[in-house]
Amino acid sequence: MCSTVYEGEVITDEWLKKWKEYFLACYDEGRVNEKVHEAIEFTTPYLDQSIVSVSGGKDSMVMLHMLAKRDLKVFHWDHGRWLVPREVEDEVLRNIAAVAPNCELIVRRYSLGESEMSRKVWTPWYKEFFGTLRSLGFRYHLLGVRADESHRRSVRGRVVRRKEWMEIYPIYYFTWRDVWAYIFKHNVPVPSVYFRYAKLVGWDKVRFVTFFDREFEKYGAPQIDSLLSWRWKNNP
Amino acid sequence: MMEPLEVTIYFKTPIALGFPWIYLDSLLANLKVIEEQGERYFISPKVAPMETPEIPVKKWRDVYVSSVSIFEPSDVGFQVFQYFKKGDYPFPEGKIRKGSGFFKDFYLRVGYLPVRSIKFYCTCEKDEVERLLHKAPAIGKERNIGFGFIREVGVKETEYEWGLVKDGLAMRPIPVTYLEEYEDTAYLAYKPPYWMKENVALCAVPFTRVKL
Repeated sequence: MCSTVYEGEVITDEWLKKWKEYFLACYDEGRVNEKVHEAIEFTTPYLDQSIVSVSGGKDSMVMLHMLAKRDLKVFHWDHGRWLVPREVEDEVLRNIAAVAPNCELIVRRYSLGESEMSRKVWTPWYKEFFGTLRSLGFRYHLLGVRADESHRRSVRGRVVRRKEWMEIYPIYYFTWRDVWAYIFKHNVPVPSVYFRYAKLVGWDKVRFVTFFDREFEKYGAPQIDSLLSWRWKNNP
Repeated sequence: MMEPLEVTIYFKTPIALGFPWIYLDSLLANLKVIEEQGERYFISPKVAPMETPEIPVKKWRDVYVSSVSIFEPSDVGFQVFQYFKKGDYPFPEGKIRKGSGFFKDFYLRVGYLPVRSIKFYCTCEKDEVERLLHKAPAIGKERNIGFGFIREVGVKETEYEWGLVKDGLAMRPIPVTYLEEYEDTAYLAYKPPYWMKENVALCAVPFTRVKL
């Protein structure tokens, strides 16, 4: 047969091994260890009154792994099955439990997440998400935001004062290479979809965002989802 | 007269896709609608609902006997083409969608396959299929920026009907309710128009084992 079932680019051990070698070399060359120590030192004063927000993506998982030795309160937002298929969500929860087994995990689910509408309308999402953060009542929110991600984020600074809380970005000075280097060095578990997407769009551009979400249409994300995650298009 | 055919489309430029496969029945239906409707085709279906036209392809139950695309060479992986497109037209007031439609003008990513040709198996009227396919200058997505331009279309008769199943493998999405045995399933549209939610059912995935 000339064609096979398309499940994204084939991830071979050899391909992954080659990249692992590259990122491990980046770990030493990019002095990631120093950045990690600096990030932990910077974050420590905030830890008592803070909650770590973890999406399950690479940046937040690196942040969680760095801080996991301490007593943490971890917040995870479940987008619902139409935005994040259950297979992926289950993997994310398993990963969080593996990285920070002693943390106090708080999971809240998006009320519209069980409806297909959640892919098309995103205004209620913001309202509910920020309402939930407000109700949690923590003074500091630790987020895996990096300056490297966009110009807007690079000018925002490492500590951002919001109305009712402050956002702290421990890995703000990490580059995408540093993040992958840390993941490969410490075997941090990340959702397996990352590797499929990385092979197609590149390690620098791969992001863990909601699937088939029209909010990200302007970045071409649903088009790529249709190719790589076609199984979840009609019924996730 | 319906006969088993092998349709091969040769390309001048790589083909961009919005889904892992192209469906021949969908392609023919689209060409037929454009032929029948002319300029009216470009009015949104919400404004002017259209009937799916009769196409010269054999039906088994309500499934067309035509395969999904088989790419040649088959070992070519998808590539991504990324580009910014900004128009200089004045923007209207209010909310506009930039991800699709007229103002699709921001950061776009297209998955494309640099293949030489694609092949379909079908049971169709040969002359009519040839006539319709010669009307298409390009197929796939992002034709406006040069993807999917056709060099040549070849249609030849085959001995066997391989539009549904070939060597025990499904050649297109087939609803599992029509099958005795199946290996892998997914919710897929199985008849044109493929964008319609009503045409989605639990189907056997193309190129997996099935028994009719």
